[in-house]
Amino acid sequence: MIDLDRLIEQANELTPLPATTVRLTELVGRPDCDLEDVAELIAFDQALTVKLLRAANSAASGSAAPVGTVKEAVARMGTACVLTLAVASSARPLLQARVPAYGLDEGALWRHSVAAAVAAETVPAFCRLDVPPETFTAALLHDVGKLVMGRFLSPEILGFIQRAQEVDHLAQLEAESLLLNVHHGELGGIIAQHWKLPPRVVLGITYHHNPDQGLDLICDLTYLTNEVAKRIEAGLDGREFEFAISGQVAERLGLTPTTLDNLCPVAASRYTQVCGRYNAV
Amino acid sequence: MNPGDFDYVRNFVRDQAAIVLEPGKEYLVESRLQTLVRKEKLGSLDELISRLRADPKNGLHRKVLDAMTTNETLFFRDVHPFEALRKSILPELMARRAKERQLRFWCGAASTGQEPYSVLMLIAEHFPELLGWDFTFVATDLCSEVLARARSGRFNQLEVNRGLPASLLAKYFVPQGAEWEFREALRRRVEFRELNLVKAWPWLPGLDLVFLRNVMIYFDVQAKKAILANVRRLLRPGGYLLLGGAETTFNVDDAFERVAFDKTSCYRVKPA
Repeated sequence: MIDLDRLIEQANELTPLPATTVRLTELVGRPDCDLEDVAELIAFDQALTVKLLRAANSAASGSAAPVGTVKEAVARMGTACVLTLAVASSARPLLQARVPAYGLDEGALWRHSVAAAVAAETVPAFCRLDVPPETFTAALLHDVGKLVMGRFLSPEILGFIQRAQEVDHLAQLEAESLLLNVHHGELGGIIAQHWKLPPRVVLGITYHHNPDQGLDLICDLTYLTNEVAKRIEAGLDGREFEFAISGQVAERLGLTPTTLDNLCPVAASRYTQVCGRYNAV
Repeated sequence: MNPGDFDYVRNFVRDQAAIVLEPGKEYLVESRLQTLVRKEKLGSLDELISRLRADPKNGLHRKVLDAMTTNETLFFRDVHPFEALRKSILPELMARRAKERQLRFWCGAASTGQEPYSVLMLIAEHFPELLGWDFTFVATDLCSEVLARARSGRFNQLEVNRGLPASLLAKYFVPQGAEWEFREALRRRVEFRELNLVKAWPWLPGLDLVFLRNVMIYFDVQAKKAILANVRRLLRPGGYLLLGGAETTFNVDDAFERVAFDKTSCYRVKPA
């Protein structure tokens, strides 16, 4: 139905992420990540330095004592927050785009991505497992494949996808796979490879709808963050939303229904706070 | 798509390949055949169906059959069967055939080749001595187009991302432009041939290992029974049949028994 070679080509033509962001994602993902190395890397990126100092000194960071150096800012905010800031600032212009094929108005994909990233920041407090540091990046970029996939979904193809969903009760991703032999998660994985992001980020993005196939904790976590993001957005819009996490994922992550019920309000509150900081809504 | 055209296509694929298309699957037929309409530079789906009805020998029927075949596949699909091969099945088969140093494998729905190539990589990694045996691996499919791709051993970025660990990609594939090519030394160990599972199987030898994974789901019970009877006839003593996770011989051919492994199961013919 669609030219897969052309699809891959377009995924590989997206504007690359800044070198500092890619390097930072690698650095923060290392078990021996050193705060000084992070500060040194950021110090060479003037734009990121300004953003970091502004964020560290903002009211939302909750401290009265001003921060003057990159190292102090990294120490105050933590490496995960710094990575959040770097990846979010790099990806935001891209993720702000309208994607009509998926019913996404301008800014909608970005808001959903931020909600998932916030969920990624919230999960470690509710999960006994060691959450890989790449989870944030995978969560923020999990739907990036929709940007390119959306360009190929003609009204005719969208009609077939809709009929597959109605007739065979397939999820969007299953319908994409059946009819197009590719889904937006896989395409997102190709974009992440093109951006030279770490392999675990690629895995998390690729399998965010079908984590059983990914065979890595990050796939379960990225799946979870996507579901939590949907619940956050539904809650804010006052919509009904059936929050059903795959039993196998919940078991692997050691999450009970109560844990999930506790996690979502915390993530929602944090989302509102973060949206204020990044002016996302 | 009008009901008459849908019935024409669904009867054709049922008669030729025992593929079952329930009413409601018009969207699937339409979406698959639209691609063929464009490839053949025809004006519409109606024109394609008219040509099919008008001339049974214009080659279009074969292309429709190819278009309607689901070719979904990936490397090391479902993982656990490959673990069972590594830990139990291959060591057992090799011990059983150690004297004659001969093993025969067949993959009956090879699609673009990911499954037989996964098995070959597993052998090269864990049982390289087997490659020095009298070892043959036949891989068949109904669709000539996918077989041509399987023979070429070339995969795009999407395909190598599906289930193939980076270490194996680096070791067994060579980059060729935007694609990856499975190394020739292993590639030539598989013989790809065209075979319709619901027609005659004229040339398959006695087999030690049969892969018929995720293909039986498309067939009706009668076709499943015929296929399993053929497999039973070809399996050598102690040989195994591997089916997909959602497939079973239970209530189809009870001459098979299920053999459970850690997180998967396979089938073999019950002892007489």
